[in-house]
Amino acid sequence: MNRRLILSLIALLPLGGVVATPMDDAQQVLHKGIDEVLALADRAPNMEALIERLTPVLEKHISFSVMTRRAIGPGWRQFSPEDQANAAALFKTLVIRSYSNSFTIGEKPVINYQSASEVAPGRVDISSTTGYQGTRYKVIYRVEQSENWRATDVVIEGVSMVANYRSQLDPVFKKGGVAAVLKSLEQSAARPQ
Amino acid sequence: MKTHLSYFRLALLALMPLLSQCTATRPKATEAASLAATTAKDKPAKSAKELPPAKDDLDDYAVVEISDPIEGFNRATFWLNDKLYLVVFRPISKGYEKVMPKPLRKGVYNAFENVKFPVRFVNHALQGKFKNAGLETEKFLINTVAGIGGLIRVSDKVPVLAELPDQDTGKTFAKWGMGHGAYIVLPFLGPSSARDGVGLVGDYAMNPVNWGVFWGGDHDWTQIPPAANTLRALPGQLSTYDSAKRDSIDPYIAIRSAYVQYRAEAVKK
Repeated sequence: MNRRLILSLIALLPLGGVVATPMDDAQQVLHKGIDEVLALADRAPNMEALIERLTPVLEKHISFSVMTRRAIGPGWRQFSPEDQANAAALFKTLVIRSYSNSFTIGEKPVINYQSASEVAPGRVDISSTTGYQGTRYKVIYRVEQSENWRATDVVIEGVSMVANYRSQLDPVFKKGGVAAVLKSLEQSAARPQ
Repeated sequence: MKTHLSYFRLALLALMPLLSQCTATRPKATEAASLAATTAKDKPAKSAKELPPAKDDLDDYAVVEISDPIEGFNRATFWLNDKLYLVVFRPISKGYEKVMPKPLRKGVYNAFENVKFPVRFVNHALQGKFKNAGLETEKFLINTVAGIGGLIRVSDKVPVLAELPDQDTGKTFAKWGMGHGAYIVLPFLGPSSARDGVGLVGDYAMNPVNWGVFWGGDHDWTQIPPAANTLRALPGQLSTYDSAKRDSIDPYIAIRSAYVQYRAEAVKK
């Protein structure tokens, strides 16, 4: 009897190991995405090539539409679908450029993933410590589930990328509405690097 | 000569807070940074059923705010600093990077950070963090002895020392319950606030590299350590400034927001 019970328990053991929580899924997707990005960043001959190579990977792992509407805030509701698509495309250009520019060709960051917490259903924050060019940074990746798990914000040493853009775009929207926001995004995206 | 050196040192000093403020930047309750940053603390995960429902995601990120009553003046100073960084500091920084090989620059950077020990020690103690003050002493001794005068940051190999938070007088004021007061862009020095500006004076006075200025008499050499201290930090600070500004919509607000968020996070540590 005892032996049967023990055997049943042993048989059930692996089940515990395969039941993935949302946090596990989110972390797995994030780790995979970052590995892809780092591999590309490591091989890129120059910044232009890096941006070109990173774009499809970032499109796969970052939800630019979520980032854009949060960066614009409640004013987003006044954007027509066409304006929304336009704003998201421009914002994507800024984010990809900004992200790519944070790399120095030939310098590989060392990422040490730490805790993850589910802050709301379908939203997971993953903490990490990133060592880059001799300095350690606390980086939090916010990952959310829509169709797939995708990053919606990066917080470096407490500075949230989305909150930073929100602070900039809010006064623009209050002053000039949708047209002013689109114009400011266009100007920033067109600014030579 | 001394006057020139003083100006040079002052000008170089200008960039000091930039790094501390841009790279890595304090707040009001509306701050989204705290939202994003606090959510990822090492709390045990709750089950989805216990979690609060997701809010309207358009309202997720409130605008980062700080009182900015002299915005016009601050913007003018910001513009001026920007030109100064471009015309004066960037060439100096490039020259420094060209002359000093990277490992040597790293060593010099580490040594100056190590010498800043009194700033960190005193502020840990003023915040009542006596254990951290003890660890800070340990870190200083290890880096000074095993790290050859602080050139090598041996303490990074000890997790408890590597994760010891940096301290400054502005953080101590915040821990004592002081708010930012008005946002101020200091000439040369960059983004700050009334509270942190006063804190900078404390940090300056406690940093041994500046002690020659106070007690070294009327000698030109007293200007060298502070100038070298600023020079060693220039490349990193300019790089941080550039990245905060590069893809911004409004560089002034981008850097103000980053500053407020960064300081809010720093005060939590």
